[in-house]
Amino acid sequence: MEVVIASSPVDAGIGCWDLHSGAEQLRYRSCTSTPHGLACVGQRFLASSQLRDSSSSSGSILYWSWSKPQVEVKSFPAEPIHPLVSNSDGMYIIGGGSSGAIYFWEVASGRLLKRWHAHYRAVTCLFLSDDESLLVSGAEDGCIRVWSLFMVFDDIGMEMAKNPYEYSFSEHTLRVTDMVSGYGGCNAIIVSASEDRTCKVWSLSRGKLLRSIDFPSIIEAVALDPGEHVFYAGARDGKIYIASINAETTSSNSYGKHIIGTLSDNSKGVTCLAFSKDGILLVSGSEDGTIRVWDAKTHNIVRIYRLAKGPVNNVLVVRRPLYSNRQTSENSHSSFSRRHAPLLPPPLGKYVNSTDENVDSGAVSVPQTPSSDIMDAPYLSYHVLTKQISELQQQSSAATGMEVDRLNLDCKRSVEIVQKWKEMFAYLHKFCVDELLGNDQTQTQ
Amino acid sequence: MAVFEHFQNLYDIRLKPRLLRSLIRDRVPDEKHPFSKPSELSIVVSAVKNHGLLSESSREAVDPKHMENWKSSIDAWIERLLLLVSSKMPDKCWAGICLLGLTCQECSSDRFLASYSVWFQKLLAQIQPPSDSHFVKVASCASLADLFTRLSGFSNIKKDVTSHAGKLIQPVLKLLTDDSSGAVWEGAVDLLCSIINFFPSSVHRHYESVEAAIVSKIMSGKCDSNISKKFVHCLALLPRSKGDEDSWSLMLQKILISINVDLNDAFQGLEEAETKSNEVIKHLVPPGKEPPPPLGGNKMQGETSNQATEMSEQLILHRISMLMLCCCRMLTNPYPAQVIVPVRPLLVLVGRVLMVDGSLSQSLLPFLTVMQREFICSELPLLHLCGLDLLTGIIKRVRSQLLPHAADVVRLLTEYFRRCALPALRVKVYSILRILLISMGVGMAQYLAQEVVSNALVDLDSIAHGCGEASSTPCSKAASEGLLLPSYRKRKHGTITGFSEEQQGGVGTEMEAVKGKPITPIAVQTAALQALEALLTVGGALRSECWRQNVDLLLITVATNASNGGWANEEKDIFLLSDEPTSTRTDFQLAALRALLASLLSPARVRPPYLSQGLELFRRGKQETGTKVAEFCAHALLALEVLMHPRALPLVNFPSGDHPDFGQGFNCKFPKNIFSSGLKNNSPFPRGILGKDEIEPESNDDELYSSWLGNDEETEASASIPDKHLESRQELSEKDGRLSTEDHQAEKHPSDLPAGAQFPKEGDRGATDAAHMETGGIKDSIMAQSERVQEIIPNNDVRLQDKDVMVPTGDLTANVVEPNKGKIESSGSDSSKATPALSSEINNKVLMAAADANALPSDQGSLLTTSIVIEKGKKLVLEYNSDASKDSFPDIVDGEPDSD
Repeated sequence: MEVVIASSPVDAGIGCWDLHSGAEQLRYRSCTSTPHGLACVGQRFLASSQLRDSSSSSGSILYWSWSKPQVEVKSFPAEPIHPLVSNSDGMYIIGGGSSGAIYFWEVASGRLLKRWHAHYRAVTCLFLSDDESLLVSGAEDGCIRVWSLFMVFDDIGMEMAKNPYEYSFSEHTLRVTDMVSGYGGCNAIIVSASEDRTCKVWSLSRGKLLRSIDFPSIIEAVALDPGEHVFYAGARDGKIYIASINAETTSSNSYGKHIIGTLSDNSKGVTCLAFSKDGILLVSGSEDGTIRVWDAKTHNIVRIYRLAKGPVNNVLVVRRPLYSNRQTSENSHSSFSRRHAPLLPPPLGKYVNSTDENVDSGAVSVPQTPSSDIMDAPYLSYHVLTKQISELQQQSSAATGMEVDRLNLDCKRSVEIVQKWKEMFAYLHKFCVDELLGNDQTQTQ
Repeated sequence: MAVFEHFQNLYDIRLKPRLLRSLIRDRVPDEKHPFSKPSELSIVVSAVKNHGLLSESSREAVDPKHMENWKSSIDAWIERLLLLVSSKMPDKCWAGICLLGLTCQECSSDRFLASYSVWFQKLLAQIQPPSDSHFVKVASCASLADLFTRLSGFSNIKKDVTSHAGKLIQPVLKLLTDDSSGAVWEGAVDLLCSIINFFPSSVHRHYESVEAAIVSKIMSGKCDSNISKKFVHCLALLPRSKGDEDSWSLMLQKILISINVDLNDAFQGLEEAETKSNEVIKHLVPPGKEPPPPLGGNKMQGETSNQATEMSEQLILHRISMLMLCCCRMLTNPYPAQVIVPVRPLLVLVGRVLMVDGSLSQSLLPFLTVMQREFICSELPLLHLCGLDLLTGIIKRVRSQLLPHAADVVRLLTEYFRRCALPALRVKVYSILRILLISMGVGMAQYLAQEVVSNALVDLDSIAHGCGEASSTPCSKAASEGLLLPSYRKRKHGTITGFSEEQQGGVGTEMEAVKGKPITPIAVQTAALQALEALLTVGGALRSECWRQNVDLLLITVATNASNGGWANEEKDIFLLSDEPTSTRTDFQLAALRALLASLLSPARVRPPYLSQGLELFRRGKQETGTKVAEFCAHALLALEVLMHPRALPLVNFPSGDHPDFGQGFNCKFPKNIFSSGLKNNSPFPRGILGKDEIEPESNDDELYSSWLGNDEETEASASIPDKHLESRQELSEKDGRLSTEDHQAEKHPSDLPAGAQFPKEGDRGATDAAHMETGGIKDSIMAQSERVQEIIPNNDVRLQDKDVMVPTGDLTANVVEPNKGKIESSGSDSSKATPALSSEINNKVLMAAADANALPSDQGSLLTTSIVIEKGKKLVLEYNSDASKDSFPDIVDGEPDSD
């Protein structure tokens, strides 16, 4: 089931709606998320980094399972975490700290595998490339850096390399507000938005700026058309601008170069954008606390959800596993869901644990149901039969064994028959002799 | 039976009982007559299977009377079978058991559910003591396995079946321990596997005894390798019968410890056994914890220690390889619960095995006899294969969680690869590299690229230079240089000549090893090609400059040479095949073509240099009707079509006033664009044939790709080309000769320069790309192209060189931005106000600078919005004009704003 989840910096919980029917699902309570601080971890549960008052030095990340509205697991990292992403199978959670450090946790054990200093100012957004081997981070100072995760974990290689990162882009002058990456692995493009009122298109493979587009207002969110023909930029002035990525356009309209249209319904500023899996429905979150679903083809609003009075700052479109959809009241089913939706993992660790060597040796592998086995289970007897027949024909030892058994039995039976015949013969013989003798006797008498 | 019944055709339901009855009458043995021809049974089986004689179902509704008839015939069949099974004659009993197994598969569900327990009892009796024929036992095991396989489909009777299965375990174990025939073991272990698979809980109670029985069989080394593998498979499945995390981990832990102990024995004197072994144990058993009981229970321990003295090396190595296989199976089989894979000890173990190469450990005195060492060396490749398999298993199991260990794995592999010289091992290493590349993406590609490329170059050398007698000196010289990898340049020239000769030389040039070089087996070459394909697939774009050119050349050469001898005949290959899977010439050709396709499709900045040769190959391959090669070539041609006509398709036709404008832009552009658009319109193909002009006005989508990297305004495509020439004139005056034809253009445009060179970097490249795309688009009019190609070639050179030029510009653009920020911050005003002010300020400058650039169709708005960029461009141009321009920004050299 494809659902829209949305959260807000004020405590309105995480809203969850079925994208296609529009029905509101469970609302997960007590969440005050940071921008880009909402993630769905491997479709198993929701995680969100929390806004903290400036007095507290540690951050806070909360987990909700799909089926319960209450917070289930609370973790307190060493510093406030702003953006939060997870890889697609939900094995890792990556968070960007307010000091500019990036934290890399293993979800199943909660261990902090790595923490490295990535930026001089707070990290504002993070995403993983298509093949999940590159991490792109944007910071408050406008810097965007591309990291090879592989390199991050290779201490030896890191020492030899000139820079710990692959690329560092510093063309943005102000805070990076959002980034999105296109399709194509290492050849993908990145679109970044910044408070300097520009969106920039980068080539990941070449590490270069391809295009810079100026907007009339600050862009808070970007979403990339799945065909990568255009991208959508949600602005503070409430419009969603449609800007072309690669087409040659002359600007005949009032917005500016490369901007070919808008989606607008005169609302307050757009804060976040997400595309549905079909690539047609565009979901936008707004400062007025509503979430709008647009049809990108017709530019019409399809649906409006209402989350809170305050602004929305995260929307995601995720696929929710079906089992949590059903009621857990049934007895049989609750055992089913307990087995298939394991308890949430332990809280995330605070520090990198380098001393305890023995602990870090495991990799958790998710349960796999060997369901396919039944389908392709071969039936054996036919193969055994053909093998045995050929053995019989070749008179192998096992086959001769059976042959001998058979002959033995035959022999025994024949012996028995012979015995019977013999008895019968003896009887007959006796009978005949008796008859003859009897006759003689009667004659002689 | 005597009733004569009509039936319409083959599919008529009335035929089935008739067929079944005649089978019972003529083919199936009965109590009275001796059973002479067992091959009759296979006729019965195939008849039953083909006609579905036992299925009791029909697609259309049928007369119940016919159905009744069919049913009664099946009743007769089963009655006969049960009679046979109880027969005293072993051969008849055997026939009955086999046919009962078949019935379990084939009969209808209702009948099966009604009578499976009767059948089960009958079959169970046959594997218990009074019967002593191996044949009967094996057949009953197989039939029982089928019974349970069928039963696994019915979830409603699970409890009942589990109790049935439970009854079976003891007799099966008895078969394993008492019997001495391999065939019976095999049957028993197959049965055990199906029970564990489908009804795991039935084995739960007998867990220890099953483990002990299987382990003793594996450890004894008495059975042949095929059956041993089945035992190993069964042992790997066994934890599933408990289905919890602990039993899986415990089993793996026990196996690893057992392997470790055996390795200590096997590698005596070849490594520093103590330290290595301790390392594994340390990771496996945390200090302070009890080590687990030995594999197979305590009883096993006593036995093995008794045997240890006389245990041969052969047996030890057999055990190690089997247990490693078991680990591998445990890793790759799915498991219903969440488990923790001990990656670190597994990797240490693999490393331990792979690092032993038979050389004597330096710090230890050699106390191995020569014989022992010889034996170990002869068996090491097998052990290494197991180690590599285990590594594959680990990678497959932990997937993305390999990340923290990936660097270790890569280091281990590369080190091993450097030394590994045996074909089978190399094939394995290549396949692991392939898995790593595909699963871990571009980050891994950057690490492995050099390793894969250099090894593949060596392995494919004989083909790449397989010129045989046709080769003249430069070719063989190149071949001999092939090993000296860093000599790229020489090598390139060598192969190019070799390649062209080959093209002329034609068919006669079969693969022949250049004298004095070993022939690389075809399997290794195939594996090398597949690894290259994977490398190009994931990492062709990022940082690939240093190897890409070489690999592209290699792949086209290999593919051409591979196809030169004609495409292999697949049928012939099939007949030649022995049991083991071997790599054939077809595989090789396919791998070569696949790698070539990857090389053509992998992102590059210019048109793939061997595109037309590649297309030619694929076209030729496609004509081999009915072969895999043809299938693949068709696919390749489809994939390459997109390369020819790149599309960036809009979701909808964006309504707006853009299109008329655009059309005008295009039209008025035409006279101006002497170079690129003139070319475009000369070619009838993209426009005329496709007729897109009439259908949709935004047919420019076709060309989007070409403008993708470049700039946006129509004029820039034209302006930036002379611009480039200008650069190239400045930077590479020695190349001037060729470019002189364009001089007049270049002179015409210098005034456009400030605006035209918005992104000198991009514009430059984009324009070259554009030129390439154009020439690609009109491939059919090659003749017209030739002179342009000449023009492009120097451009390529320019590109390589202007990287050096570009490096400072990167810094410069960054710096240009900084003062803006400084201003904004110092003014303390809202940035949204500051930026327009700033840009208009710049704008004025630009307008002054570009005062005579009136030819540009850009209006004020566009200039305004891109003014910062233009500013950069201008600065850049300034830099070209005077080296001192950089000095004009002395204060802002430090690019990091918050460096504290």
